[in-house]
Amino acid sequence: MLKTRFIPVAIDQAYQRRQKDTEGEFYRKIASQGPRGNFNNTTQGFYIATASGKLLVYNNNRNPERVRRLMTEKLGEFSRLETSARRGKSIEATTVDKRFNPTPPEGGLVIRVRAKVLDGYEPTTDKWQRIFQTSMSRDNLWVSKTEHQSLVQGEFPDSLQQRIARYHLVDNTRGEPPFWNEKDVRSVQFSATSGRLKGEAHLETADHNRGYEAAFNGIVEIKNRKVVRFDAVVLGEFWGRGKYTGEPPKGRFPLAISFTLADGSDVADQIPPQASRGWVQGYIR
Amino acid sequence: MPRVSFKCAAVLLVASSITARAAELSDAQFKRLHTELQPGDSPWLTIPWKISVLNAQQSAAKEDKPIFIWAMDGHPLGCT
Repeated sequence: MLKTRFIPVAIDQAYQRRQKDTEGEFYRKIASQGPRGNFNNTTQGFYIATASGKLLVYNNNRNPERVRRLMTEKLGEFSRLETSARRGKSIEATTVDKRFNPTPPEGGLVIRVRAKVLDGYEPTTDKWQRIFQTSMSRDNLWVSKTEHQSLVQGEFPDSLQQRIARYHLVDNTRGEPPFWNEKDVRSVQFSATSGRLKGEAHLETADHNRGYEAAFNGIVEIKNRKVVRFDAVVLGEFWGRGKYTGEPPKGRFPLAISFTLADGSDVADQIPPQASRGWVQGYIR
Repeated sequence: MPRVSFKCAAVLLVASSITARAAELSDAQFKRLHTELQPGDSPWLTIPWKISVLNAQQSAAKEDKPIFIWAMDGHPLGCT
């Protein structure tokens, strides 16, 4: 139904509710008709709306049966609307807020990053908990042109090591994770010699409540002075939780994180790294 | 002196345990885990998600369909 009867769009609303441009204005026009019209706070949920910007429903329920029922109801309501109310005119972007429209670095790389907790959870019969316990996260790592060239030359630049450690060696499998401060990076030593990626990382907060001790192993292939393969895994013991990543396994638990070069075939390859939200110049210099 | 020695021993013990933990990622494990941590063929991956509301508006106007916006904290396709 979503594929054929709707135009599906997925967004991080932290961008659209703030951005001062045509995209943001249209989103806020829709969202302001629902219960989450305070754009200083989250507006998360799902919205069904017409092309003219009329909100048909807002909901934040994740029960698939309920969502399906609402979708069916609203399709009926949509079909009964006057054509003018239903379709609207196509809106062209007249303004683009650059702060909220970052693009991957030119001449750099986009690497898909996925994380999964491998073990340690208490057995559960709760279907929602089971979803979180078996979930795999996804984010994108951006590599600058200069860093890309260093990898081509068989070097693993410090800036890239630090970015991976601080923003991508995280447990984001149950929600938005806290990232690591500079001082939390106790050690990180990655190398890219003769096509092999190797290394170790030790991250730990000052209060020792959250940490990750892990090894890095992988393969990098270079062709025509470009990285054409970057397959790697970080595996180690993680402990602790964040504000939005509650209910981790008790104590230390195995967390695996994979890295795969994006080929641009997936629309998700264009999505900025989570840690760069509103702060691209801090994420990648 | 004994206290210093004890501290040194403790530091060495912690350091060696970190190294032992961190070193446990063989080539075989790397290959297995890298394969395991791929998205597979989950049905939601077959949905033709757009990532711009304006782009969705344009398609909705053209195709006479409603827009379904999945709006989250963190990008649904790129965060968690």
